[in-house]
Amino acid sequence: MNAHVNLPASGPVLKVDGLKKHFGGIKAVDGVSFEVFEGEILGIIGPNGCGKSTLFNCILGQLQPTEGAVTLDGEAITGLFPAELNRRGVSRTFQLLQVFPNLTVRENLILAGQEHQGSMLSRLLGPKDAGLTAEAEKMIGFFNLGHLADSKAGGLSYGQQKLLDAAMAFMAGPRLVLLDEPAGGVNLTMLASLKERLEAINKEQGATFVVIEHNMDFVMSLCSRVVVMAEGKVLAIGTPAEIRANPAVIEAYLGH
Amino acid sequence: MDQFVQLILAGLATGAIYALAAIGFTLVWQTSQTINFAQGEFVMLPAILVLAAVKFLHAPLPVAVLMAVGGFLLLFGFGFKQYIVNPMARHGILPLAIATMALSILMKESAKDGFSAEAQQFPSLVPEGAIQLFGATLSLRDIAIFVVAVVAIVGLQLFVTRTKTGRMMQATAQNPTVARILGISTEKMILLTFLINAGLAILASFLISPVYLAKFSNGEVIGTAAFIAAIVGGFNQVRGALAGGFIVGLVDNLAAAYVSSAYRAAVPLVLLVLVILFKPEGLLGSKEERTV
Repeated sequence: MNAHVNLPASGPVLKVDGLKKHFGGIKAVDGVSFEVFEGEILGIIGPNGCGKSTLFNCILGQLQPTEGAVTLDGEAITGLFPAELNRRGVSRTFQLLQVFPNLTVRENLILAGQEHQGSMLSRLLGPKDAGLTAEAEKMIGFFNLGHLADSKAGGLSYGQQKLLDAAMAFMAGPRLVLLDEPAGGVNLTMLASLKERLEAINKEQGATFVVIEHNMDFVMSLCSRVVVMAEGKVLAIGTPAEIRANPAVIEAYLGH
Repeated sequence: MDQFVQLILAGLATGAIYALAAIGFTLVWQTSQTINFAQGEFVMLPAILVLAAVKFLHAPLPVAVLMAVGGFLLLFGFGFKQYIVNPMARHGILPLAIATMALSILMKESAKDGFSAEAQQFPSLVPEGAIQLFGATLSLRDIAIFVVAVVAIVGLQLFVTRTKTGRMMQATAQNPTVARILGISTEKMILLTFLINAGLAILASFLISPVYLAKFSNGEVIGTAAFIAAIVGGFNQVRGALAGGFIVGLVDNLAAAYVSSAYRAAVPLVLLVLVILFKPEGLLGSKEERTV
């Protein structure tokens, strides 16, 4: 399904063009450009403070970029609000956990998927699941959360909440998913299952991923291409093998 | 024994009214971090509005009730959020809390000066009377209060947990940022909780005023009781406020009979102190963590 990654037939799903975000004199993101193609898993790596999260927040409309453009399937989405992006099929996971703690795993999933459908009246009078129970069950099965489906999300372990967070991002059948450090703080066993699940869902749903991650092994084995950032700029873009061999990247990461 | 049963029922009836007020209290806290110190006056006023519409506008009772309900929802559901909570919330929780204290004084004094300083009869929906059960004499009115309040609370609980809108309200309370990203109109959800709060206050007002008469100062007792109930039960849980309401109602009534009627109001306060000392999150509450 994503065999055409290197030779895209159509235009990019996401295009970031000359994006800048300055906070006063600090150039957190300073002219970043890259493209993400259909079905691709693109990784973004870089040392702490290199502007990865700011870049994400600009793409996702949580920050207004100072300059530059973001397009989704050729349409400008620069500066649109998060909810509007969500409607257009862009979803995200969070670096710090953002589940609804007093709702069950299943309810969290249904909530994450329900907003597209329904008028005010159907929301008031309609069934509680909005027909999303089946979809939620699918995600629960897919992310191996079956034994936790009726537990409050707040009581889950950190790794389990990360899985739930990821599952929530896929509920609305997104076109593009931005994952902010999905592996952060997740133990090794859970990590393997997370990676395997993400790969499987990428194939199955045909969604396009952009992943920010610090865990090198995770990024290098999951992603088809990797963007390396340093000090707000793109240092290199390439396949994991190219990135590993790039002297500039080695220097940025390992020092002199 | 029969006296005890009567006391329990009376306690449950007052407790149900406290619970209505306490639940509204916790709802607006959860969605908008508003501590409404005018909650007692919210329960006092609807009955006064009905009587005022009858007295000044010569409206027939059903019309007066409709006018009071509509006017109260508009002023103290929508208006309260729009013109007091929204502008004050920008300045923090404390200025907002103080603004609600000012509102409570304004409501109380307006009811006194604009309507009457005297306690007024308020028509009861349920006839006077009593039934005999297990040798105890149970007042029909107490039973009716208890049943109506419980039906309202169960209905609200079903709405919150079983409907899409209810779940959107919960999401708004638990994680407004993500709720907004998911496309939930958090503003509408917050407004809805304020309307529900006003609705619960109206119901409590119509239930309690036939018993204790409609008077401008009614809010003092009810407001304190609801506040204690919410803290004792757990501020961030509807079921906590419910349990807290019943506990305070029962403690209140039993203390009046078995301890001292002069100190009846003090006993719930002792309970409050104990809960704050030993289980500050409330009997059914969960510990609250807020990220900034």
